[in-house]
Amino acid sequence: MLRESSDRSDTIASLNIHGAVNPDSDSGVPYGSLLTAFAEAAVRQTDSLPGLRERIVAELGVQQLVDAAGIVANFQRMVRIADGCGIPLDDFTLEASEGWREELGLHAFASAANTA
Amino acid sequence: MTTTVAPFSYAAAAWNIPDRIRAAHVRSWDRLATAGEWWTGAERISIAAESRRVSALVDGLPDPGSGPVELAEAVVYAVHKLIGDLPNVTREWYEETINAEGMSDAHYIELLGVLVHVWSVDELHRALGLELEPLPDPIPGEPTRHRPEGLADHGSWPPTLAAEDVAESESDIYGGRPRAANVLAAMSLHPDSVRWLNDLFEAHYLSWDDMADMDTKVRALSRPQLELMASRVSALNECFY
Repeated sequence: MLRESSDRSDTIASLNIHGAVNPDSDSGVPYGSLLTAFAEAAVRQTDSLPGLRERIVAELGVQQLVDAAGIVANFQRMVRIADGCGIPLDDFTLEASEGWREELGLHAFASAANTA
Repeated sequence: MTTTVAPFSYAAAAWNIPDRIRAAHVRSWDRLATAGEWWTGAERISIAAESRRVSALVDGLPDPGSGPVELAEAVVYAVHKLIGDLPNVTREWYEETINAEGMSDAHYIELLGVLVHVWSVDELHRALGLELEPLPDPIPGEPTRHRPEGLADHGSWPPTLAAEDVAESESDIYGGRPRAANVLAAMSLHPDSVRWLNDLFEAHYLSWDDMADMDTKVRALSRPQLELMASRVSALNECFY
């Protein structure tokens, strides 16, 4: 969905899919580095979290911060459902992601053995 | 500490929390306190309390204490595994867990449903630097032990309901769509967990219909920004799905 939504966006010249998994890669999504840094700080509860909240408010806005927190909350939940139930990949996900799962190293994730 | 009301007032919050989120959180606490199909309200709240103990342990914070009833060892272990050791959740572990004394596949799915939804509400609070809402007092009542008709093996560890096999009493869980995403169907052994998932999914992210429409702009962040963050959270959890 990242790729599809980026393809439809007029603010993204070229999506670098590595930015989704690698903190050192620029995804090409506006404010992507700030938002992914916030996601990582929220998931890991690091000391950088308060400062990142302030930066998102200053550079994007309060509602963008709340949206960002909502995404973290939502996907912290969804990954546990997926991995807690060993769900198979949906056909449309498999088809859409076939080309870059290997490239991003997702097959090295422990849960790859469960999500056939 | 428990309370009889769970207002999620956010009066002291530095950020304006939208009504859709507040309302979904209030509904979550109502669901949490009420007996489910396989666990009492007190047991469900104890599962939630245990999830907070895991988070505190991981974050090096003081132990917030256990819930109103003592949980079996397998239940406590499941909570710790699903919150704190997700990459090492395996099918073998799942099979051991559902075969432990007092457990079943249905107990497991309801436990997972309670656990992830309460924890998700807590995660939003932690991400925004908000105090956690006190857990509610349990509402007396006994589990109904209702197991849906039509469950079958569709590739997930627990049996699930295909959209075409959903009974009339559960016809709302997939919103009338002809197909359900596997992550949604995964919880269908306990239909109320699917309803809970739908509710918080829309409040925290997007409705399923909005998710399918790449041109819809309903949040302050753009769709690529939402999806980039979703991908990063999944990667941080080493989630292949």
